Amino acid sequence: MNGMRWILAVIAVAVLACVPWFGSDVVVQFGISTLLLAVLAQGWNIIGGYAGYASFGNSTFFGLGAYGVAIAMVQWNMPFWVGMVFGAVMAVAFAILLGLPVLRLKGHYFAIATLALAQVVAAIVSNIPLFGENIGLVLPPLNNDAMFYEMALALLVAATLTVWWLTRSRFGFGLIAIRENEEGAAVMGVNTTAYKVLAFALSGLFSALAGGIQAYWITFLDPASAFDISLNVKMIIMTVFGGPGTVLGPIVGAFVLSAISEVLSSEITSVASLFFGVVVVAAVVLMPRGLADVVRRFRKSGWHYFAENIRAHKL
Amino acid sequence: MDLLAQILINGILLGGLYAIMALGLALVWGVLNIVNLSHGAFIMLGAYLSWYLYSWAGIDPFLGLPITAVLMFCLGYAVQRGLLNFVVRGPMFNTLLITFGLEVVLTYLAQLAFSADFRTINPSYAGNSIPFGPIVIPQARLMAFGIAILLTVAMWIFLLRTRLGRAIRATAQNLVAARLYGVDPRHLYAVTFGIGIGLAGVAGGLYGTVSQINPYIGATLTAKCFAIAIIGGLDSPLGVIVGGIVLGLIESLAILYVGATFGDVASFGVLVLVLILRPSGLLGKTT
Repeated sequence: MNGMRWILAVIAVAVLACVPWFGSDVVVQFGISTLLLAVLAQGWNIIGGYAGYASFGNSTFFGLGAYGVAIAMVQWNMPFWVGMVFGAVMAVAFAILLGLPVLRLKGHYFAIATLALAQVVAAIVSNIPLFGENIGLVLPPLNNDAMFYEMALALLVAATLTVWWLTRSRFGFGLIAIRENEEGAAVMGVNTTAYKVLAFALSGLFSALAGGIQAYWITFLDPASAFDISLNVKMIIMTVFGGPGTVLGPIVGAFVLSAISEVLSSEITSVASLFFGVVVVAAVVLMPRGLADVVRRFRKSGWHYFAENIRAHKL
Repeated sequence: MDLLAQILINGILLGGLYAIMALGLALVWGVLNIVNLSHGAFIMLGAYLSWYLYSWAGIDPFLGLPITAVLMFCLGYAVQRGLLNFVVRGPMFNTLLITFGLEVVLTYLAQLAFSADFRTINPSYAGNSIPFGPIVIPQARLMAFGIAILLTVAMWIFLLRTRLGRAIRATAQNLVAARLYGVDPRHLYAVTFGIGIGLAGVAGGLYGTVSQINPYIGATLTAKCFAIAIIGGLDSPLGVIVGGIVLGLIESLAILYVGATFGDVASFGVLVLVLILRPSGLLGKTT
């Protein structure tokens, strides 16, 4: 990134940080949920976009992070930050322990194994008393949306800086090498197991912190909402729509899709979901590498860009 | 002991139904290398088709199955020819994602068209059961089981013995070579996907006679179909029967011994274990 882009990025963050002072309550609440979704998308970007391992189980990290905060605050009467640390530790431990066997699987098999794990964890958690079983936990309320907004924004900045660091560090290049050709990467001296597990843990860390903020903000938590499988879908769609394996793609995807879905769901909820489905289908056919790639190549090939994509992948 | 025997019978009968659910998914996966995340949604559509045939046209759910199968075949053919053929050579993740989008579209279209109410297909003989010593065998479930086994075996013979079946297997082994021998892959892919969706339609019709249906059953059914395809392997339809019955038994036993909420935990737990220990399936060849 050159100087000009840094300045633009700082201005963008500064403008976003000012939103709670000018926006209405509705705008700030929409902002918090969009920023948290963007963090999830950015977290998924690390394992799915850079390492090329399509995890359908990142919702588990989000749930563990949310429960870390809820358990610490409700069951143990500890402050919020202890809960954030507790949730993050649980998520990272989970990523390492289960990542070791599961990250040996490739392609479809990895996707399915993580999806199944997410469902197993959701079902087990709803039977553990510490997690409030199916009834859920109620957190002490804190009516300070501006604070939650700034926390979510700070977390998104941290996640984005981490992803930016991936584009210029040995670790990031190792992940890209694994995505492009895992055997080749291993031959070139990349410790593929360690790199993949670390990427999974990093992805889990950010998802868990987002879950922690969400739990304290919503002040109510039950297994069905914390470990909601459809959350995976949202983060994956947002990343893929914006551009997987790019620094800003997931953020753009999260903002664009959240805004459209917010407008649509004020009409009918099922229409918003239907729209998500249609967007995915159209995006895969017309722009399989996301908006980032459209921006990059549209200037050169114009409308032929979409035809080129179809021609490249059709039978 | 009688309870255990009854649970085992229920598990096996359920397993037959599971087998035919997974058969189409395994076929499409094995031949086209597409993991069809919308498979469960097509099962759901088949169930609704069967429901409308029964309650509007008065066609018996079992006699209506051929109609459901043909209509669903046409739908599947159109989806593959008009949509999936355009992305099938792309990265694996693209096909995963597009079928996922399809699942969402079908689910919410179904919600708009059919409403979210629970429905069941209830012919007059639905409650009948056959006493067999101390245990009872529900008639509808037994018929569903019989049809499932029959179709799976028919599928096996079709793939092994007919010209079209050989063309499908040849394409699965080597697309380029099959093309050189005069197979038109666009048509053949569409036929294969159509057969898979036709089987999903039949499975849906059978599912509707033994269980409640609503627009959201698709996702869980897809996950179960995966588990079955993974346990049984993708090599032959007979593996799918074994996978289905194994899953049916595991679920029934887990519900009996651990608790009602653990049926899914057990089946997905087994799925993860099989994936890690034997990725080519319990019966599949080790690579």
